[in-house]
Amino acid sequence: MDDLLPATEAAILRWHGIAAPNDAASRLTAELAPLIAAFAALRGTQGFEDEPASFEAALRATMDPAP
Amino acid sequence: MTDLAALSLAEAASALRAGTTTSRKLLDACRANRARANPEVNAVIWTDDAGAEAAAEAADRAPAPGGPLHGIPLAHKDMFYMAGRACSCGSAIRRDFVPDVTATAIARLGAAGAYVWGGLNMAEFALNPTGHNRHFGDCRNPWNPDFITGGSSSGSGASVAARFNYAALGSDTGGSIRLPASACGVTGIKPTQTRVSRFGAMPLSFSCDNVGPLARTARDCAILLRAIAGHDPKDPTSADLPVPDYEAALTGDPRGVRIGLAETYFLDGADAAVVAAVEAALAVLAGRGAIVTRIKLPLMDAVAAYGGIVSRVEASTIHARWLRERPGDYATHLSARLYAGLGIPAPYYIEALGRRGPILRQFGAEVFGQVDLVATPTIRTVLPTRAATDMDSGPPGTETRFMAVSANTRPFNYLGLPAISLPCGFDPNGLPIGLQLAARPFAEARLLAAADAYQRDTDWHARLPPVTAP
Repeated sequence: MDDLLPATEAAILRWHGIAAPNDAASRLTAELAPLIAAFAALRGTQGFEDEPASFEAALRATMDPAP
Repeated sequence: MTDLAALSLAEAASALRAGTTTSRKLLDACRANRARANPEVNAVIWTDDAGAEAAAEAADRAPAPGGPLHGIPLAHKDMFYMAGRACSCGSAIRRDFVPDVTATAIARLGAAGAYVWGGLNMAEFALNPTGHNRHFGDCRNPWNPDFITGGSSSGSGASVAARFNYAALGSDTGGSIRLPASACGVTGIKPTQTRVSRFGAMPLSFSCDNVGPLARTARDCAILLRAIAGHDPKDPTSADLPVPDYEAALTGDPRGVRIGLAETYFLDGADAAVVAAVEAALAVLAGRGAIVTRIKLPLMDAVAAYGGIVSRVEASTIHARWLRERPGDYATHLSARLYAGLGIPAPYYIEALGRRGPILRQFGAEVFGQVDLVATPTIRTVLPTRAATDMDSGPPGTETRFMAVSANTRPFNYLGLPAISLPCGFDPNGLPIGLQLAARPFAEARLLAAADAYQRDTDWHARLPPVTAP
């Protein structure tokens, strides 16, 4: 994880053309490490057919049959 | 304190219909309280006194009421567009932005008879849960100005609590209606995702933005939600489902309603005073016949991880141009948070969105098979001070306290579920505590009914903050 900050800042600059606006931005970027860990813990849970457009259908499917 | 301004919205509307008051008197009462309280709470960004007076007098001249909100003066979070009127979004960047459209929620309230007297303070671009604002000054809690109002709809919560606004629209992407409702001691409901049109409301997160009311009571919220909910052709994401008569659902009878106090996640690190207030509130509902249990919630690790990035990535994307061109015009912490969001990889974002539907289905089946409502504290800790949560100048640990404020509200944005916050007590510092209830999609009537039943037996929502003292 030691290279997370420089690698991420370089990627943001390369992909978005934006440099860290202040020290706090660099600090918060370095703090993305726990997010990586959280996603790592969830690996294997994503289904092959999962796709974003299913959410509104899920809202309706989860409705109370007699609200 | 002026008595007319202390009425609930429902009471004010009823008085107007009965002819026992006038819109102009209501407006003047709110204005008198505003003059007294706003210097302390800083809830207002702009006012249109002349326009409001004209609207009030037109309402009073009308031969018959024009709708359920006929003659009600309101002010809203300054991010709901009104054609031709500057809308700051709580920011320096949009301070002079003049939209050419009117938000559907504003238009629908107008069609119901309400008019607008002002625009309310808010977190910059609706992007903090505390109510800090570098550009317009922090909004301050009516119960104690040293404490946060909650955000981002800070002025909405504070103005309603301080009795110079009967109700206000807010937006809720991670808790921005429920947090100020909780912190200021008022009632606020985040509707189901897609229930209310977002057209003409400042965008923050395509997936998680919601529009809803903050008001003095659940009944007031019911009246307002009915006015603004429903499909809008201008917002193709809005649900094409009938809008119930929410007020008719307020029977005061929660017998048989199953309420589960969430044991998983939502009580982690919670303060004892907050938990005690929530448990006492549930006991009140049990006294009316609700069936109160405790429930373990599934998938909360996934909800927390995925829910933590969807709105963050979307907000960073929306703000990328200004981050590139005008980074110094944001508060330091805001540009920092937006910048860091750009570092989250697209596959993470897509995974979070792709899992959203399946997670909701599983959560719904497992949870709502056992209970009708999930209960949690709205904010799991006692309310923090503004100083302790000021991300630009706070002491060590500030970010932890800052993020903890919205820990209990964000999950319901990811899940898209409706959730309401209502006052249920005070913490040892004398600041309000909120009870959060969440329900199945589109079951807002059940939430409002439970909240109304609770408010029939309690007076937390009717208590007046010190700032209202004459």
